[in-house]
Amino acid sequence: MNLQFSAQHEAFREEVRAFLREHLTEEIVRRTHVGMHPPCEDERRWWNRVLGEKGWSAPQWPKEYGGPGWDPICQHIFEYECRAAGAPELRWQGLRLIGPVIYTFATPEQKARYLPEILMGSHMWAQGFSEPGAGSDLASLKTTAVLDGDHYVLNGQKLWTSELQYCERGFFLVRTDSTVKPQKGISMIVIDDMNAPGITTRLTTLINGAEATGEVFLDNVRVPKENLIGLPNTGWDQAKFLLTNERTSSAEIYKALVDLHRIHDIASHERKNGKPLLEDPEFSSRLARITVEVQALEWSVLRVLCNAPSRHSVDARASVLKIRGSELQQKIAELAVDALGQRSLRLYLREEGFAETGANPLWPGYVPGITGDLMYTRAYTIFGGAKEVQKNIIAKMAFGL
Amino acid sequence: MDFELSDEQKMLADAAQRYVREECTLEAHRAAAATPEGFSRDHWNQFAEMGWLALAIPEDAGGLGGSPVDMAVLMEQLGEGLVVEPIVDSTVLCGTLLAKSDNAGLRAKLLEGIATGECIVTLAHIEGDGRSEYETQVGATATRAGEGWTLSGTKQRVFHGQTADYWLVTARMEGGVGLFAVARDATGVTVDTHRMIDGTQASDLSFNGTALGADALVLAPGATQAALEEALDRANLATTAAAIGSMEAVMAITAEYIKTRVQYGKPLSTFQALQHRMAEMFVETDQAHSILYRSLSIALSGSAADLGKAVSAAKALVTQACQFVTAQGIQLHGGIGCTEEYVIGHHYKAMIVYEKRYGDASFHLARSAR
Repeated sequence: MNLQFSAQHEAFREEVRAFLREHLTEEIVRRTHVGMHPPCEDERRWWNRVLGEKGWSAPQWPKEYGGPGWDPICQHIFEYECRAAGAPELRWQGLRLIGPVIYTFATPEQKARYLPEILMGSHMWAQGFSEPGAGSDLASLKTTAVLDGDHYVLNGQKLWTSELQYCERGFFLVRTDSTVKPQKGISMIVIDDMNAPGITTRLTTLINGAEATGEVFLDNVRVPKENLIGLPNTGWDQAKFLLTNERTSSAEIYKALVDLHRIHDIASHERKNGKPLLEDPEFSSRLARITVEVQALEWSVLRVLCNAPSRHSVDARASVLKIRGSELQQKIAELAVDALGQRSLRLYLREEGFAETGANPLWPGYVPGITGDLMYTRAYTIFGGAKEVQKNIIAKMAFGL
Repeated sequence: MDFELSDEQKMLADAAQRYVREECTLEAHRAAAATPEGFSRDHWNQFAEMGWLALAIPEDAGGLGGSPVDMAVLMEQLGEGLVVEPIVDSTVLCGTLLAKSDNAGLRAKLLEGIATGECIVTLAHIEGDGRSEYETQVGATATRAGEGWTLSGTKQRVFHGQTADYWLVTARMEGGVGLFAVARDATGVTVDTHRMIDGTQASDLSFNGTALGADALVLAPGATQAALEEALDRANLATTAAAIGSMEAVMAITAEYIKTRVQYGKPLSTFQALQHRMAEMFVETDQAHSILYRSLSIALSGSAADLGKAVSAAKALVTQACQFVTAQGIQLHGGIGCTEEYVIGHHYKAMIVYEKRYGDASFHLARSAR
């Protein structure tokens, strides 16, 4: 066992840092750190292209499909350094969700068509999974795709499609056979144009005021049959692959680590009883407790990334990352709000957050985004498999219960 | 000891419950948040008509002279309806401060205005690093100018500051910190207003040599600090009752939702993990009720020092309970609970506002042990 970063890894870290310094401007970094939902779309597409041109936009992809061929430790270093430097966060839907499904299950034609544009970020992807009656119980989805000549005809309703307003393409789970067990009659299909006839969309405003998700209504939408991924009725396997392929992303460890720096910054400026808040015993004890938990989570991520041996199933340990990661997101956001104190009550909508420079000393630049993020983190224990479902997975996979 | 509500209190609770059910809909709440004032003038006028704005005002000033218990009975109902109107700021916080004033003319005029709803009064106290009204150093100054004073300084986060007809402003003067009533249309004031997460607004006020008349002094140095603590404690009692109403609403709405939401072929309410979560929410809410009763008991009979510790104990416990209940209310709803179009998330935001106003959980926990 060797639990150290090697000299090569440290050199890699320096290379990444130099690249980030060269490309990121102060303005971009400020807008990223403020953490509004959704992030600045133009900057995120620009950054995806910059990384794509460098060959760094998909750290986890195999080299043959355009990944950089890094080992897990390099991936870890890269993700942390990007986050810490304030690089825009690339959208997950293309790079982390559908991309791997395509290079694993799709035809050579589909790979050639979609993978390059995902790598360059020229097209963004809408995820059409959840439905009004199919949340945690995803397999009960009802949206249908019926073959009519060379096309599938789609009808139904999807919701919780993240950042729908920015999406050109979509990947949807649809029912292609309703005569069999629910899981056996599902297919995954690509919609090439989210503005195609028969598609209407409606944005959903979340409690932080953000239009971060939306609903998609499909009314006789015609999709070429070659847009189906893999064989008909194998969509459930692809969906399961998609949800578990990247086991470590849901830990949100890089956001957690950087948010702790942000809390330090706030607590060294805010004052309580005439001293920096950071010196307040109760506050510093809470911060210490959360920091310890984040440190443990980081090593849980490393263990899973590196396939560290364990007597327990990796599925159970992946659910640990999701449960602890999402709970920590909430606790960190609560602590950040508590650090701000009463200033946290001010509402900053997205554009206000981007525009705020902190010139008014009564409202320092670290205020915007914090409370909006707390409200957003309420969803972390819900999306991508609710916490309760993750606990069921652990009970089953770790103990056979 | 008798925990039964009196007939009057029952009538008050029933009337408020009916009003909340009929008028305090989510649509009304969202509409109010979109107005420039951030609350509903219709509600405000109705509150006045029902006598609720007079409840905390002394009888000798045209009020109903209600007790903290009466106010808690009302506020629990209003909390269920996510009421954001400045009833606590104007009638409880500023009402208590004004009731303690020796300035008979000003006291009578403003208290009568508050009781009828014609006048909204709000406290302008926080400055500099002050994290709350309890924890602020006053740097604003009121210097003698003839019969009156000249006011200079900056006050932060004056809730409903742009709407209020009068601000009660603390300022350093000869002999210590005094409290002044300043009309919103006074000269030499800059008002910088911001929207809060619950749709209400708060203002930063900058006084640059604002001229105050001889009759502007509400409380002289010596009387101000103790009055502020008591008024803030009474305000916390009222908002704590509202928070408990909010928790009751969250439990009722969530229980109803999980009975009807079907996943995996059966209602969510049949999953034991979720039943236990609801039970935990019930335990938290029950304990919140109990510590409010305790603090009300002390409010009726204890000393000011006892009141401070009891109110802080209540707030330390209820903030934690309310945080749990509102967050789990969202969790049990799933995605829909995170949306602006659904009521649970608004209770979560109300919880944050409750926790951060008039001293936060951390402040009150420390104060409860002093």
